[in-house]
Amino acid sequence: MTNKVVTALAALGLAGCASAPIPVYQLERAQSSIRGAEEIGARSVPAAALHLQLAKDETETAQSMASKGDIRSVLVMARAESDAELAIGLAREVAVHSDAVRATEDLKAVRARGNP
Amino acid sequence: MTTRDMNLTATIALASLMSACATVAPPQLVEARNAYAASSNGLAAKLTPTELYEAKKALDKANVEFDNHGDTLECRDYAYIAQRKVELTDTKARTELDRQTIAEASKAGVVVRDSQVKATQAALAVSRNQIKEERRDNEAMTNDLRAINTAQSKDLQTTVTQLEAEKQARVAAETKLTGAMNDLKAIAAVKDDARGVVITLSGSVLFASGKYELLNTAMTKLDQVAEAIKAQDDDKRMVVEGHTDNRGADSINQPLSLNRATAVRNYLVSRGVESEKITAVGMSSSKPVTDNKTAENRANNRRVEIVIGSPGLSSR
Repeated sequence: MTNKVVTALAALGLAGCASAPIPVYQLERAQSSIRGAEEIGARSVPAAALHLQLAKDETETAQSMASKGDIRSVLVMARAESDAELAIGLAREVAVHSDAVRATEDLKAVRARGNP
Repeated sequence: MTTRDMNLTATIALASLMSACATVAPPQLVEARNAYAASSNGLAAKLTPTELYEAKKALDKANVEFDNHGDTLECRDYAYIAQRKVELTDTKARTELDRQTIAEASKAGVVVRDSQVKATQAALAVSRNQIKEERRDNEAMTNDLRAINTAQSKDLQTTVTQLEAEKQARVAAETKLTGAMNDLKAIAAVKDDARGVVITLSGSVLFASGKYELLNTAMTKLDQVAEAIKAQDDDKRMVVEGHTDNRGADSINQPLSLNRATAVRNYLVSRGVESEKITAVGMSSSKPVTDNKTAENRANNRRVEIVIGSPGLSSR
């Protein structure tokens, strides 16, 4: 039992590895989402811009952790992907919402013309 | 403390630690759980069920990590990811609701401008502005050209007016000349020949026989000749020729004809004919207009001719 506890305590600590590469698919998904957020204009939407920046920072952090052998780097890269995806969603929401507002106003105008 | 005691202490501490972690979820996990609960009771359940399901899976991972290992960094990472997925679910639900609004408006006949078309519209607006600017430039250029045209038209009109005035002046001059010549014809013979206009005055009208002083009656006639001459073109040169018949020696006829021509010339100059344009020559009996066989013919040969010729006219 003692050995198991000691082992568990040791396991709670950081395991010593030379490096822990991030799976390629995880890295590509995160980078692809970041590119998508930029292309859709996330920079121009404040809330989206925040999550886009978070995604970029987390990508750098994950790569740094991976080079030091921190296996948690995979999860940090996953965080980056989730932030980038949210940035895309927020930017798209703003664009579609403005179209919806305009469409609603135009619909009111059409109905008003039809019912003087 | 013995090794056994130390291991026991560590075990107790670890157990305490684990039990404490199992009861207090990290803030990130609490927040993610609350967000999911709210989302699953809102629009997302109906409009974006797939995304809500993905958020649930991420939250389950976080819960499992917490249940198995407590408040770990991994637990917090999973909770963070679950939180973002819940927020994404809500965002997509709101977007879907807007899309439905757009679809309804489109069905009602409203032309919906998709946000993806905005870029094209912006480009069109830029093009329209460019076209407007080009139109303004063209209008400005057209106005400039019109102004130039108007100015040139005015200049042209001025020129036309001037030409018309000159024409009228010429017509008046010609009318005056014609009138003068008609008056002249009443007192003199006027003809055109190779030398120009030839005004012939009879010697007997101008002078007494053998004399070269002008008679008083001659002066009246020469006044009319002077008017006719002054009505001519300024470039015309004039020659006054004195002619005699063939009776008498040439030594007498030559100076007589010259003196008579000079007398006429001097009188015309005194009446305003430019002196540098009129000369006098004596022709004696060298240029008869008819033979000298009869008195009448000889009278015709005794004459003074005023030749109004071209600028190159010179005395013979």
